[in-house]
Amino acid sequence: MEDYDVRSAASILASVKEQEARFEQLTRALEEERRNVSLQLDRANLPPNTPTSQPLAWQQLVMQEQSPSNATSLSMMQEPQEVVEETVTIEEDPGTPTSHVSVVTSDDGTTRRTETKDISSNVKVTKMVKTVTTRTVRQVPLGPDGLPLPEGSSPLGSYTDSIDRRYMKNGGDRFITPQATSTLTRSYNNSYNDSYGETPESQYIRHYGLHDGYADLTENYGSLSRGVNFRPPRYPYLPNSYRPENSYTLPIRKDDYGHVAQPQVPMGSSTVDLNRSQPERFQAEPYGLEDDRRSLPPEEEEPYELEPDYSTANRRTLQGPNRGRTHREPLRDVPRVRGYPDEAIEAELIDERHPYIHGMYSAPLAQPERGSMASLDRMGGRRSPSIDSIRKDPRWRDPDLTEVIAMLGHPIDPVKSNAAAYLQHLCYENDKIKKDVRQLKGIPVLVSLLDHPKSEVHRKACGALRNISYGKDNDNKVAIKICDGIPALVRLLRKTNDMEVRELITGTLWNLSSYEPLKMVIINHGLQTLTNEVIIPHSGWEHEPNEDSKPRDAEWTTVFKNTSGCLRNVSSDGAEARRRLRECEGLVDALLHALQSAVGKKDMDNKSVENCVCIMRNLSYHVHKEVPGAERFLDPSAPQAPGSAGPQRKKKDDAGCFGGKKAKEEWFNQGRKNGDNDKNYDTLDLPKRSEPTKGFELLYQPEVVRLYLSLLTESQNYNTLEAAAGALQNLSAGQWTWSNYIRATVRKEKGLPILVELLRSDSDKVVRAVSIALRNLSIDRRNKDLIGSYAMRDLVSNLPSGQQRPAKNLEEDTVVAILNTIHEIVTDSSENARSLAQAQAIEKLVAINRTSQSARETKAASHVLQTVWSYKELRNALTKDGWNKSHFQPTLTATPKPTKNGKPGYDDTTLPLMEKNQDGYSTIDQRDKDLKYKTVDGSVDQTEREPLKNDTNRKHYIRSNRPAVSLVDACDVKPQPVDSWV
Amino acid sequence: MSNFIPGQPLIAVVLRIEIKKLRQGDNLILGFSIGGGIDQDPGQNPFSDDKTDKGIYVTRITPGGPAEEADLRMGDKIMQVNGYDMTMMTHDQARKRLTKKNEDVVRLLVTRKSLEEAVKHSMGSYPRQ
Repeated sequence: MEDYDVRSAASILASVKEQEARFEQLTRALEEERRNVSLQLDRANLPPNTPTSQPLAWQQLVMQEQSPSNATSLSMMQEPQEVVEETVTIEEDPGTPTSHVSVVTSDDGTTRRTETKDISSNVKVTKMVKTVTTRTVRQVPLGPDGLPLPEGSSPLGSYTDSIDRRYMKNGGDRFITPQATSTLTRSYNNSYNDSYGETPESQYIRHYGLHDGYADLTENYGSLSRGVNFRPPRYPYLPNSYRPENSYTLPIRKDDYGHVAQPQVPMGSSTVDLNRSQPERFQAEPYGLEDDRRSLPPEEEEPYELEPDYSTANRRTLQGPNRGRTHREPLRDVPRVRGYPDEAIEAELIDERHPYIHGMYSAPLAQPERGSMASLDRMGGRRSPSIDSIRKDPRWRDPDLTEVIAMLGHPIDPVKSNAAAYLQHLCYENDKIKKDVRQLKGIPVLVSLLDHPKSEVHRKACGALRNISYGKDNDNKVAIKICDGIPALVRLLRKTNDMEVRELITGTLWNLSSYEPLKMVIINHGLQTLTNEVIIPHSGWEHEPNEDSKPRDAEWTTVFKNTSGCLRNVSSDGAEARRRLRECEGLVDALLHALQSAVGKKDMDNKSVENCVCIMRNLSYHVHKEVPGAERFLDPSAPQAPGSAGPQRKKKDDAGCFGGKKAKEEWFNQGRKNGDNDKNYDTLDLPKRSEPTKGFELLYQPEVVRLYLSLLTESQNYNTLEAAAGALQNLSAGQWTWSNYIRATVRKEKGLPILVELLRSDSDKVVRAVSIALRNLSIDRRNKDLIGSYAMRDLVSNLPSGQQRPAKNLEEDTVVAILNTIHEIVTDSSENARSLAQAQAIEKLVAINRTSQSARETKAASHVLQTVWSYKELRNALTKDGWNKSHFQPTLTATPKPTKNGKPGYDDTTLPLMEKNQDGYSTIDQRDKDLKYKTVDGSVDQTEREPLKNDTNRKHYIRSNRPAVSLVDACDVKPQPVDSWV
Repeated sequence: MSNFIPGQPLIAVVLRIEIKKLRQGDNLILGFSIGGGIDQDPGQNPFSDDKTDKGIYVTRITPGGPAEEADLRMGDKIMQVNGYDMTMMTHDQARKRLTKKNEDVVRLLVTRKSLEEAVKHSMGSYPRQ
């Protein structure tokens, strides 16, 4: 994570520089542009000949609007708006200004500009502008009346205008300069002309374009100008970005039609730019968020939030992989462009708030000293170009929480959304405030806003809910559930196409899914929706793939990551949850496809892959018992009658949970018998299938083995490794045809060495999962022989060696798992027992048996020792090494007792699957749940982050867990890191 | 200590940790392991943000050991041991400094990322969740 302070300072510096450079560039471009403009204007007067294409013209227009983003915050703030806009225009124009464009541009340039810059050509431009203006004025009245076209921006315009106007009146004294007004007018003209194409100029343009035969272009142009729904793909680079942004801006106007009803605004007001005057736009920037955004570290997951409001935005845009950002930018930029007018608006808004903010006047200045215009003065001044002006105003103070929550119900939508955004900010990392919001009944209000038709409102509400739902305080999650927040979120997910909102929704659901009692609720309300809306489309899987087209790759979007995280959590909620997920149509198919695509692209260290593997692992748990029709596949070669073997065994396992020694021994016996019958698995035939496998059946098809092995080979992510090993462990458990086949497939796919290699992993849980997997795999006789010959040393090296400090800090569970694996391997194989002894294991086993603090370890070690001693052919060798019978005896009769009284876990761990704690198989441990969002917020807990960090170095660190001596023979040229116990 | 930028104030949040060594047979143990040092490849240190940082880091902690008791954490960077600077030492020097037979107690100054972050947050930046 980064140092925020440093970063902001650095980024400001960088942006200033960048802007300087840009300004220079712009100035140059401006010169050129002016020349062009003059030329083109001339040409424009002779319509038919002009060769320029329309779309370009559009772009320029757009530019003006967006310029704010390009203009540095710094310069922007102090300078008159015109300057800013000019800069923008210039910037964009450099290439090819069309005649029309130039007109518009000149418009922007406005008189003032011209004056300053002394360009002769501009004179003409200026003239043009004037004409446009007049026309606009005339037409504006028409708009509201007729409203013939849905695109007609006039109605909107009128509403917005009214607001603007009022604002201007209120705040105008201070902020609005005549120039400002003119600017607005200008822009209005532009958009108006474009959208209607009614003005002579625009008509001319269209015709022109058509005549030229640029059919495509023209069309393009048309849609753009109408501004409705034209959503070009991403334009990561600035020059291109005008277009999309513009188009985005326009459609939004549509939203405002609701306001059409209030055409009280005088015509004059309508001159105000439609785009800009939309309340949503201005206030799109929540008060609180801005600060938050600014402080975000760049690694943040949400790109959109990353954008600092200032110049950095430029840079980002330029660099570009800005999904979801593209549409937002225009929104944000608009207010900035306007600068002063905005303030006026805010002033107005705040006036409206008065009912809520009594005592506002007497309230002390907020916290202007905060250093930044940070969070808290936001209500007053956030967006203002000069904070000072606001600070000086003693009226501003922060609303308190009650007021903010009350504002959620304010009749004006922007107030709602701002209040929600402010709440989101306040709740950030503040459990106290989350709790307060809950107790002040803010959560139901936020949830109700999820159904609000305005995207700005439900987006902010969702953001607030996401923050509130995050953290250890499960009461917050429950509160969301109680007021039916989960179905509301799911509903919104179905409705919205806004990527950002989807990210927020799925993020919230992910947070909620970490609380056990909510898991089933999420499954009930959201499983199929999440699958259909997110998992399937982003996984690249297609129901009926087109044979000709290449299979699509998965996209590791934030939405996908959040959703898979949510499903990962809910998939650990027991048998019923597993059943629901397995039977959820398309889910398993899509997950599998996503993972295959990850393997194909060698991109498997990310969180989404981790989530997918974990879901797969969880769903693979107990397939042999839980899958419909599993009985049919019960292992026919099992010694007992197949019909009885499974269920019987299961019962025994269950009994085992209570620590009954009998059950355990029976299990051992059974294992032994099974072992004898495993010999012919290689020849096992797969059940014949008439139709292609789909759905949950995919979970246990032998084909998945290769997938998991690829992950085990390639992934650097411990959690992914653990989950992939866990999946193999789950699949190779049990006595049914499929597990037989899986066990054999792992061997044939050369998976055993891969697993054995992972025994050296630094990660406790990876070692544990791998070791249990090996144990299950060794039910297959040939696997057992192979594992006995090749894995023994690595298994043994993971055992603590009594007096000495352990090579790794493996948890008790892991040590027990290893011991049980060893036991399984030496059972029925004196050859394996011999290699165990040769691996210097006896010393360790005896030490554990005698001195371990853990009853479970002691007992497991004792079992291994007894088994070894049972091979009479080995005793000679053992005695030679100085061992005698007493070493192989259970230490004391007392030993079993603690086992019985204490954890009943021993028996469980001997089972192929740890029945005792499904958590062993559920992917999410508490830490994971609680911290998963920490990665987002920058205050990552060390423990959470550490595995990720480790991952990148896994290959090296794998070795570091061994004594330093062994590092020497590592063939790596690089010196291996030394790690010393002290 | 991440992202040190020349000219910018450096914020170092240090934590004082006192560990009483545990006697195991002849050995006095602290119950943790260290990695890093100026003779080691800093790029392989999984705990550092700055991959050129050659400092001494805590790589593992023995459960229930003295270090754990004292709340030392994996990933902590050791700045000082009993007053000696540990940021410019070879691995072996660091090990020796920590394992002096005649010292029963070591007092560490460590930096911990989570703390730094916490401090930064409290200093007025408002990241969002």
